[in-house]
Amino acid sequence: MIHDKKAHKYGMVIDLDKCTGCGTCAVSCMSENNVPFKEDESDKKDSITWMRVYRLTNGRPFPDTEVVYMPRPCQHCGGKGDHGHSPCVSVCPATATDYGYDTGIVSQIYTRCFGCRYCMAACPYHARYFNWWDPVWPEGMEKYLSPNVSPRMRGVVEKCSFCYHRYQLAREKAYVNGSGEVPEEDYQTACTTACPAGAIVFGDLNNPSHKVHQIVKPDPHPDPLNPDVVGKSRNPRVFRLLERLGTNPKVYYMSEREWVRKMGDHYLDGEWDKVKNVYGSASHE
Amino acid sequence: MSEIENKTEHGSMDGATAGTAEDPKNDTGLGLGVIFFIVAFLICFLSGWLLFPKLLYSKHEQPFNFDHVLHVEETGDCESCHYLRDDGTFSGIPKLASCLDCHTDEPMGETVDEAVFAAEYVAKEKEIPWYVYARQPDCVYFSHAAHTEAAGMDCKTCHGPIDETRTSRPYEENRLTGYSRDIWGKNIWGIKKNPWDSMKMDDCAKCHVQETGHKGYCFQCHK
Amino acid sequence: MKVDRRSFLGLGIGAVAGIAVSPVGAKLTDDFSIWTQNWPWTPVPPDGEISYDRSVCNLCPGTCGITVRKIDGRPVKIEGLDTYPVNDGGVCLHGIAGLQYLYDPSRVKTPLKKVNQRFVPISWDEALAMVTGRLKQLQEDQNPEALACITGSGQGSVPGLFNHFMAAFGSPNCLTMPDLESWLVLTATTLHGPKQTLGFDIDHSDHILSFGAGLIDGWGSPVACIQAVAGRKQREATLVQIEPRLSNTAAGADRWIPINPGTEADLAMGMCGFLLKENLFDPVFAQGFKGGFMRFTAMVQKEYPLDKVAAVTGVSAADIQKTATAFAKAKMPVALPGKGRGEGAQSLKEFAAVHTLNCLTGNINKKGGAFVKPLPDYLSFPDPVLDDVAQKGAAAEPLAASAQALVARIDQSDQSPVEVLFVYNANPCFALNDPSRVAAAFEKIPFKVCVSPFMDETAMASDVILPVSTFLEQMEDVPSRGGLAASVVGLARPMVKPVFDTRSPGDVVIAVAGSLGGGVAQSFPWKNYEDCLKQVAGKIWNPLTRKGHVIVSGRPPAGSVETDFGFLAENPDTLKPAGDQEFTLIPIDNFRVPPTVPAPSPFAIKTVSDRILKGTDMFVEINPQSANHLKDGGFATLTTPAGSVRVRVHFNDGIMPGVIGMVKGLGHTLNNRYVSGKGVNINALISPTIEPGSGMDAAYGIRAGISKA
Repeated sequence: MIHDKKAHKYGMVIDLDKCTGCGTCAVSCMSENNVPFKEDESDKKDSITWMRVYRLTNGRPFPDTEVVYMPRPCQHCGGKGDHGHSPCVSVCPATATDYGYDTGIVSQIYTRCFGCRYCMAACPYHARYFNWWDPVWPEGMEKYLSPNVSPRMRGVVEKCSFCYHRYQLAREKAYVNGSGEVPEEDYQTACTTACPAGAIVFGDLNNPSHKVHQIVKPDPHPDPLNPDVVGKSRNPRVFRLLERLGTNPKVYYMSEREWVRKMGDHYLDGEWDKVKNVYGSASHE
Repeated sequence: MSEIENKTEHGSMDGATAGTAEDPKNDTGLGLGVIFFIVAFLICFLSGWLLFPKLLYSKHEQPFNFDHVLHVEETGDCESCHYLRDDGTFSGIPKLASCLDCHTDEPMGETVDEAVFAAEYVAKEKEIPWYVYARQPDCVYFSHAAHTEAAGMDCKTCHGPIDETRTSRPYEENRLTGYSRDIWGKNIWGIKKNPWDSMKMDDCAKCHVQETGHKGYCFQCHK
Repeated sequence: MKVDRRSFLGLGIGAVAGIAVSPVGAKLTDDFSIWTQNWPWTPVPPDGEISYDRSVCNLCPGTCGITVRKIDGRPVKIEGLDTYPVNDGGVCLHGIAGLQYLYDPSRVKTPLKKVNQRFVPISWDEALAMVTGRLKQLQEDQNPEALACITGSGQGSVPGLFNHFMAAFGSPNCLTMPDLESWLVLTATTLHGPKQTLGFDIDHSDHILSFGAGLIDGWGSPVACIQAVAGRKQREATLVQIEPRLSNTAAGADRWIPINPGTEADLAMGMCGFLLKENLFDPVFAQGFKGGFMRFTAMVQKEYPLDKVAAVTGVSAADIQKTATAFAKAKMPVALPGKGRGEGAQSLKEFAAVHTLNCLTGNINKKGGAFVKPLPDYLSFPDPVLDDVAQKGAAAEPLAASAQALVARIDQSDQSPVEVLFVYNANPCFALNDPSRVAAAFEKIPFKVCVSPFMDETAMASDVILPVSTFLEQMEDVPSRGGLAASVVGLARPMVKPVFDTRSPGDVVIAVAGSLGGGVAQSFPWKNYEDCLKQVAGKIWNPLTRKGHVIVSGRPPAGSVETDFGFLAENPDTLKPAGDQEFTLIPIDNFRVPPTVPAPSPFAIKTVSDRILKGTDMFVEINPQSANHLKDGGFATLTTPAGSVRVRVHFNDGIMPGVIGMVKGLGHTLNNRYVSGKGVNINALISPTIEPGSGMDAAYGIRAGISKA
């Protein structure tokens, strides 16, 4: 029996200095995952974009203004201590969303979801979207839908799945090849392959040969200052969104600019200076 | 005044039921009710067991009969037509092109079925609209490679000994759900003797627990 | 025994008990729970064999190689092709949304003719007969030059066929829309000689001085530029961005130099003067300077001294010196012209002045510099067969030098000098400044034919629409352009059979030519477009079909380059934004919104921020410092000499005070619910002004007033 017993932890690091704000990742995700579209998508509260690109500014007046774009997929949180109790998973009454310990990916099963939206309230990243209406594809456009992702009906929540269907297909290929191990280049999310600037790097954070691990250098031990936080990056340029909450997201961000890194959380006066030079510990491997 | 009124005016109601079915002297208790109960119970129970499946399922014949025994003899085992592609995906029910590897619009045998096949499908270049017994809902992701390659399972474990059949059994479709009878199982009680008798989520989960020690994560089997 | 209440009770309870103990209850519960999930209007995409096919995207001048994933032959996803030299596996959101363009039910499905302001479907035979009839009339009237043609781009075999048709028919009036490539060709022709274009090797340059070129906002070949900018840090290259607003390119640059809108040409001239004065130019390359170089040197130092330029542009003299010096001293500097995407209304003076900076540093035809390249010559059309009428027509004076100038001419004439107009792969009724004037001019043209997949504004103004296939449904050569350093020709192949009754545009031209007979038909000796392509691209056909692309040239062009300063030495006027109101309105090129064709896809419109478009309301950007009584998010009336419109206001610190920015490409009025009626077409607010010396519309911005609504 071929059985991949390794516990993978799929995650990504997004270089905000390379991100151009073009939106190609968002459209690639929508095309890959059969995401519907409405006639008026300008109400962003109910516009379904699994990958959403936010525009952030340093708040300074002309001509010192700076702008950065931040693509935000589902963060696939590991929850406090990285034990798999993601905020959304912990509250779902139907177990429509569950944490996969083999990949670290938080699944979303549309047929189990009955649309209570508790998970949307729980998610600190607004990464979950609700189908208020039935998706409608203009006549003929349903031909471009992919069979690898189930189209949703109204009344269910959907979110980024790290293109899990690509992992499923990559696993099948690996079984046929006899190895059972999915190589790094065989499983890449749609947003990663689409980004023309190469700002997104995706892979197994647990695997030292994967690029994402080499960039992020996650510390596998709990942060001594905040033991709920695991996997803090040892790279001074890398940060996570709302890291102090202990959600342990698998999406890391990177920037040379300090004001961008400060955007990772709401820091009160004085708080940023205390944490800005604290990175993952290099004392153990 | 009536007799009843006379009697009740002064005394008990004992006499009120005289001559009626509820006459205490005539009261046999629950008797008829019990008989009706038993009769109704039996009728409904037996209908539920025997008549209900007939009503629930509609029968459809395949477009023409497919003789598996003959083809396995000619081509080898399951994999000649139902194979894993290089990229790991499963080819499923063969398309017309696959049949045309051997067949032409001139029948090779003498069966009526092949004649139908040749005239209606090969000559017209039409795909055969087979009824798929194993069809699962869209939310299900099943990886053949994971089961036949990684787990080393045999086709028969889930599909049954189809290679030993000469006829394609009729496709019985559940009128409510639109899926094949094979999913819940031929047995209306849901009792299964062979592993291929039913294939609902619990069946997958049971085998997974047995073989891997774990039910499986949602995304392993869903999309 | 009588049948009474107890019997019925017994019956009822017996029935219920019987059913409860039978399998019906459990089975029906299970079945109903599945039935509730069976929503027949939720599509179940059919599964099948996965295959990958390769092609080239032709939606914009980017010409990126794409790979299309198909399920049983049905395309489901478009991604970038790793092995394609232009984009190295990258792709943009519009290419990915190509499948939405392909299956859009609002596409033109059959040929249409306009009857009483409404369109009626007709057969191809009838449509082609209508067109041929009109053309024959022109021939009989001995007035072939009354035929005009506007195409989106000037390169490739299909525009080539249109050109060839015009030549054979006898009309010199073949025009292209003002895309970046046409501006680069004009600049190269003006400075270096005819039949040349410019390319910029930004992949290797160590110092890019961009005069508003939106490298990551859609300039040139967008994906190639994004990759060049993203790889900058690794090669230690600097990007300096000069523009009035913090575009995404400026935000990602190493240095942003804000400049007063419309003064980029003055800044470039000032820098030229500075480099000449300080002797910071390459004497070796200067040996190829001729045609007024001394006059230019004297003029530019007299008319563009640093203090004067500083006053005009708003960039301090110290900054100008610093920027120019850093540029000149870099090892491989390159200066880029073309504001935003570099298309539409630009300025030849500005392009020429900026490119002169490249000529002064001498980084021409060297790694990391500007390339002066010959126009692609991989196509060879046969000589047209001309009869006397056609010969006379072809020799006539062209009616105008640009599409906008043609519109002006028709507008000013009582009777339109154009009697038949072809429009292919262009939307002048939307994309040119003052679209209502364009529409009015079109009204005067007796017969208009639109060759387009979509019912866009120009199609709606036409008399006959000949629907053509999208890039996913046909074979076509796709030559790289738009400032790319390398010259690559790709082959777009059909990924799917045409979804509707459409034909390839090449086939349309060949069919019309064939049915005209005479010299025109003889000039088109091919039975169909594929046959034609094989022959006219014969030089590269084999490798093109084998590999899917041919690198015609990857290295810097060889040979010496001469530079003629005649045009700039005359010091043509810098066309400033017209009007006298307080603010200056400039267009914003947003990568997510295509400016011309095609209109944005539903996916693209979805990505547009709600601070640009909310419902159908359009936002304009204004710096809070100049906002006066306006409220962030509030309604306002924006007025320019060309018109007035109701907008909402978005405060943006990143735009220069006194400048208002509006995204270009919205405000469509198509028959597409996802795209139409949203926002405002900024072209409707800008009056065109023809630049002396180029004949092109150079009205990039305009003065504007804004008040609370």
